[in-house]
Amino acid sequence: MLEGLFGNIIIEKIFFMLYVYGEGYPLGLAKTFGEPVNRIQQQLRRLENAGIVVSRLVGRVRIYTFNPRYPFLQELKALVTKAYKFLPEKEKEAYYRKRTRPRRTGKPL
Amino acid sequence: MKIDWKKIGIKQLAAFISVKLRERGIDAILVGGACVSIYTKNRYLSFDLDFVTHATLKDVAPVLAEVGFKRESSRHFTRLDCPFFIEFVAPPAAIGREPLKSENKLKTKLGTIILLTPTDSVKDRLAAFYHWNDPQALEQATMVAEAQEIDLREVKRWSKKEGHAEKYQEFLIRLRRKR
Repeated sequence: MLEGLFGNIIIEKIFFMLYVYGEGYPLGLAKTFGEPVNRIQQQLRRLENAGIVVSRLVGRVRIYTFNPRYPFLQELKALVTKAYKFLPEKEKEAYYRKRTRPRRTGKPL
Repeated sequence: MKIDWKKIGIKQLAAFISVKLRERGIDAILVGGACVSIYTKNRYLSFDLDFVTHATLKDVAPVLAEVGFKRESSRHFTRLDCPFFIEFVAPPAAIGREPLKSENKLKTKLGTIILLTPTDSVKDRLAAFYHWNDPQALEQATMVAEAQEIDLREVKRWSKKEGHAEKYQEFLIRLRRKR
C-alpha cells in the first residue's frame, strides 16, 4: 500500500508493527513476516540513520520504537494509521493481532 | 596550524570542523551534548560532536578525510588519536516537533561555530528527558540553564506544546533548587 512511497514493502511492515505494538525487534519481525533477519535489520538501520526510529538494548536484544523526537512523527503516524485501516482483515489477523499481555514463567500454554 | 589531536578540546574541534566544512560550502549546525559541554565550560563533558547538515555524507566525508577522520559506520567519523567522534545526524535540525528558529554563532580562536542557542540546548536536552525519562538529560538541561541566560517562558511554551507541562515543572523545581 505504502510500498511505492517508502521504496520497499519491509518498511511498510515495520511501520505497521511499530504502530500496532509500539515496539519490535529484528528476529521477531523476521519470524512474523517470514523475511530474512538481515533484510529487516538493514531496513531498521536505514530508518534509524534517518532518525525515524530509535533502538535500545534490552539484554541481548535490540528493541526498536518510533523516535518520539522525529519532527514529522505525528504526520507519519497519521499516514500509517490511515493505511492500516485499509489493510485486509486477513492480513491484520495474521500479523498484527498477536498476544501482547504477559504470560507467567512456567505457565503451560 | 598544528593541532594536538590528543589534547584538543571539544570547542576547538567543533570550530575546526565547522570551518573546514564551510570552506567547502557546507553549512552545519552543532547540536546535542557538545553544546552542553560548551555552554557549561565542560562541567558536562561530551565526547560526541553531533552536527546537522543538509549536505550529503558523500560531500562531507572527503572534508573529514582531509583532516584524518575516517567514516566508521554510516554517520560516524573517528580519528585514532582524537578522543572525540563526529556524527552527522539526519536533518532537519529540530527541537521536538518544531524547526529551529534561530542559531548561535560562537567565535573562537579557530573560527566560528554555529550551534544551538542556550535556550534551544536546554529544550534539546529536555526533549530526551520528556520522551525517554533520561535523568542525565535533565541534569544537563539544568546545568545549561544555570550557566547561561535562557528564555524560560519559551521553554515553558515549547514544553506545553510537546505535551510535557508537568515534566517542565520538575525541571523548574530542580533549577530553582540549584540556583
